[in-house]
Amino acid sequence: MEHVWDFQTVFASWSLLSQGLFNTLKLGLLTLITGMFFGFFVGLGRYSRSSWVNFPAGVFVEVFRNTPALVQIMWFYFAFPIISPFDIDAFAAAALGLGLNTTAFCAEIFRGGIQSIHRGQWEAGKALGMTYREQVWRIILPQAVVRMIPAFMNRVVELMKMTSLASVIAFGELMHQAKTISTYHFNPIESYTVVALLFFLVISPFAFLVYHLENRFRK
Amino acid sequence: MSLEILSCRNLKKQFVENQVLQGIDLQINKGESLAIIGASGSGKSTLLRCLNFLEIPSSGEVRLRGKLIGSRQNGQVVYQERDLIPIRAKIGMVFQHFNLFPHMTVLQNVMEGPRTVLKLPKSEYESRAISYLEKVSIPEKRNAYPSELSGGQQQRVAIARALAMEPEIMLFDEATSALDPELVGEVLDVILKLMEEGLTCVLVTHELGFAYSAAQRVLFMHNGVVLEEGSAYDVLVEPQQPRTIEFLRGHSRFQLPASKNSQ
Repeated sequence: MEHVWDFQTVFASWSLLSQGLFNTLKLGLLTLITGMFFGFFVGLGRYSRSSWVNFPAGVFVEVFRNTPALVQIMWFYFAFPIISPFDIDAFAAAALGLGLNTTAFCAEIFRGGIQSIHRGQWEAGKALGMTYREQVWRIILPQAVVRMIPAFMNRVVELMKMTSLASVIAFGELMHQAKTISTYHFNPIESYTVVALLFFLVISPFAFLVYHLENRFRK
Repeated sequence: MSLEILSCRNLKKQFVENQVLQGIDLQINKGESLAIIGASGSGKSTLLRCLNFLEIPSSGEVRLRGKLIGSRQNGQVVYQERDLIPIRAKIGMVFQHFNLFPHMTVLQNVMEGPRTVLKLPKSEYESRAISYLEKVSIPEKRNAYPSELSGGQQQRVAIARALAMEPEIMLFDEATSALDPELVGEVLDVILKLMEEGLTCVLVTHELGFAYSAAQRVLFMHNGVVLEEGSAYDVLVEPQQPRTIEFLRGHSRFQLPASKNSQ
């Protein structure tokens, strides 16, 4: 049977799609910002001399790095309301799952970036009489952050793609909207093609930026 | 009477199984220049790093101007990081690999200590940094980044960075070992100038010729102990210990002047 192309109904559902795009960006950016913010502290926590700090930080990172983001999202959506008194909607569950996942990965990026700075830099700051905090803020972070940028950009790319996982708990992001459109109009090829293009348009500038930055820092 | 700046007594340092310092007694007086020599692994760098607490000594005491560093608890000296920070600020350190801050210009490197640690006002830390860059003869490079400089220039900036804290004593940890031979001289010239101006200096060095001509006192270390100590002439020209003689003989670059006794 000849396939009858039907992009028209996809474009006609632009309000669904634009809402999906908005939700995708909302989920992606929120989890990115919270993930980077908390990841910084978890990453520093793994450096702490106190095992009351570094041990839980290590456990947190390993748990969220070594379980699938899809499982984390499902867990927060279905298990969290049962074991806690809080009811949780699809957006909150997805944001929690992806946010904590991103926190764990960002913590590793911070840790790796800091670790990549030679011990002599810490010692030079220390020998001048700097406190630990001064060494971190004046000497280590300004150098480490530059090295972390490509890794963070990669994380952004991964995270924006992972937002599509939230479709399994019916959060109305792009992927879920495509599913809705295609069930309604029986045009999965067209719906998912358009969604793939939209994802590509959102993500490819970041990927290009990664490429560009990596080239620049290699010099 | 000479004024004691830095001293240590029965200083020991152990890394897991490895006893690197086995009880060092040392006194460094104001204006004195001391060279510490010895084979690699003899503990000379560790000794220097224990003196400014980049390494925490396992036991023994260190005194700055006679005042015990750390606090005594049950006969042992214990160290709190917050007590060590002001001590380090008074002890200048120059590293083998310079360890300049690559994200800062030369001037910013030298200003960093007076700015962040001493918290001087901008006008003061800036003029201070410039004057120390002049002292190491490199003022024209103030806006360059460390990566744009030669090794010798970088080390001179590192010396200026340490000097800008106006420390009571300067420690040089193999300051010329990482340099190309033709760049060693410019760094030694700077160190010599500081010594002649009366700055208290301790240098761990493999430059025996420089130690001979510049240091008032030389210390030979072997397996974590001070095996021989005395004037540069005594230790380098007429050593008493077989280990010292053997070590000096191994240094083919070092031309021994004729001994007084053999003439």
